[in-house]
Amino acid sequence: MANGIGNKSVVLGDIRKSYGNLEVIHGIDLTIEEGDFVVFVGPSGCGKSTLLRMIAGLEEVTEGEIAIKGRDVTDLDPSERGIAMVFQSYALYPHMSVRENLGFGLKMARTDPADIERRVAQVSAILKIDPLLDRRPGQLSGGQRQRVAIGRAIVRKPDVFLFDEPLSNLDAELRVSMRIEIARLHRELGNTMIYVTHDQTEAMTLADQIVVLRDGRIEQTGSPREVYEDPANMFVAGFIGSPRMNFLEAEWQGDGTVHIGSAALRAPIDGSSLAPGDRLRLGMRPEHLTVCEPGAERIAAQVEFSEYLGGTRYLYCQLEDGQSLVVEQREGPDWQVGERVSFSVPEDRRRFFAGDGRRLR
Amino acid sequence: MRIRREIRARKALRDRIAYHGIGIGAAFFFLAPFAVSFLASFRPNSESGRPPLPPWPLSGLSFDAYRALDSFGSGIWQHMFNSLVVSIGTVVLTVAVSVLAGYGFSRYRFPFKNALFVLIIATLMIPFQSILTPLFIILARLGLNNSLLGLMLVYVTLQLPFSVFMMRNAFDAVPKEIEEAARIDGARDLRLLVRVLLPLVMPGIATVSIFAFLNAWNEFFAALVLLSSNDNYTLPVLMTAVRAGRLGAINWGAVEAGVAVMVVPCLFVFLLLQRYYMRGLMAGAVK
Repeated sequence: MANGIGNKSVVLGDIRKSYGNLEVIHGIDLTIEEGDFVVFVGPSGCGKSTLLRMIAGLEEVTEGEIAIKGRDVTDLDPSERGIAMVFQSYALYPHMSVRENLGFGLKMARTDPADIERRVAQVSAILKIDPLLDRRPGQLSGGQRQRVAIGRAIVRKPDVFLFDEPLSNLDAELRVSMRIEIARLHRELGNTMIYVTHDQTEAMTLADQIVVLRDGRIEQTGSPREVYEDPANMFVAGFIGSPRMNFLEAEWQGDGTVHIGSAALRAPIDGSSLAPGDRLRLGMRPEHLTVCEPGAERIAAQVEFSEYLGGTRYLYCQLEDGQSLVVEQREGPDWQVGERVSFSVPEDRRRFFAGDGRRLR
Repeated sequence: MRIRREIRARKALRDRIAYHGIGIGAAFFFLAPFAVSFLASFRPNSESGRPPLPPWPLSGLSFDAYRALDSFGSGIWQHMFNSLVVSIGTVVLTVAVSVLAGYGFSRYRFPFKNALFVLIIATLMIPFQSILTPLFIILARLGLNNSLLGLMLVYVTLQLPFSVFMMRNAFDAVPKEIEEAARIDGARDLRLLVRVLLPLVMPGIATVSIFAFLNAWNEFFAALVLLSSNDNYTLPVLMTAVRAGRLGAINWGAVEAGVAVMVVPCLFVFLLLQRYYMRGLMAGAVK
């Protein structure tokens, strides 16, 4: 394992986790650079929280190694790993004031009381919670509680921050402002942060690196742009983006084109592994489809219904062969239900996937 | 408009009278026995054989009954002390053991956990009178018969199933994340339990304490069987001894005085802990 190098913050080496005979994390290798904001996303049950809890030391590692700042922490106690964690349910100590909540970790580490006082004051100023210091968590609103929970993490000056779906308990408006707050904190503190969420917007907006997980395996790691624009497989393509990518059943022709129903589209992929007649999937994001005149390289469909969202519209359409298609339309006239429309999609926006979900390039 | 307001006012008055009337009536039924005993305990000796009504002393206040009570056995203070030692000891031991057991049952995974827990709860179904003889023999073997310590241990044993059950529920109600947050903050084992979890299960502890105290304080049968020397009698045993009186005549005055003396600590403990106690019984009921 390549640890010991200065700019590696967290290194996971072939991490596995089993409950009895059931393996839920199947060998994860991941290197996180110092100062990166890494987001684990995936559907529920994909193991993202378990993975985070293993890094935190709250869950035992069945096999593999975890190193933080070049130090093997696999079997260390959570408090000795140089991490701090923010929980979804805040997990504040209800019987302590905000001040005591913030200072508890330092007190446990037998820090000098004057030093605790100073650091608590510093952190509460950063998070603007100084007027709340003498209150109990029960007297705070959800957003304030989350600030205190984040403050409790900051005050310990950890190497790595771990966030376990910290915003899911907040209402929509607060979630947006806390998201910006967390991004600001990351910029100011410059620490490595690992963030678990199932919310794509959070993942896309916060992350330097997104790690997409499914069933205890990493499907793809990359910047938000890479993951969105250059998905490694059909799962990632479908999981990232809302409304999700359209997948149309297509037939490989062997001459560099695919047929969808009666339409023929050019497919800029290496077809050497394919035989004419193979079934492929053509993936297209809703915003890349544009309405245009019928002609070559067009997909014809019938509008089933449309949603008006103010800034944009979603057209839900059906192809001749019954496949459905969602199109995002920002400009142009409204289309009525039942109208026949033709769509085009730029060649460089077409993504092709093999039957097993593998990306064809 | 005027009439309407009047009707409304009258209706409100009627409601209030009914509400408070029923409340006072109910309170009367609960308080009357205490009042009767308490008042009757101040009757002079000459009146103590009179019928219970009216309960108050007719010929002036007198402490004859309390004097009679104190002259019995080794003095009321000694017996009060015995009772307090046994009760407080029971509370302390019960809380100490049930907190640890409840924590273990709530948080740790070990083989046969549920079976063991059911086994503990199942002992509630055994009437303790039926195991008194074996208990007596065990205590005798240990040299603990006729000792307050022995009695205390028996009470703790009897109190534990309910208490462990109660404490397990209390710990179950504490979110796991709080414990994990504390572990990340560096609190481990005993410090975690004392600094973080104990304050959160206070309602459960209060409930367990009240039950342990009241049961130990009022328990009669085991005390009667296990204690043989007069000096060691706890208050309930003393009371029966007082009641038995001399030559078959019952000294009712002394009995009333004893009741008054016995009630005071119970009231005190309950009032002290009732705030937590209510929350303890409600734990998990809502949310």
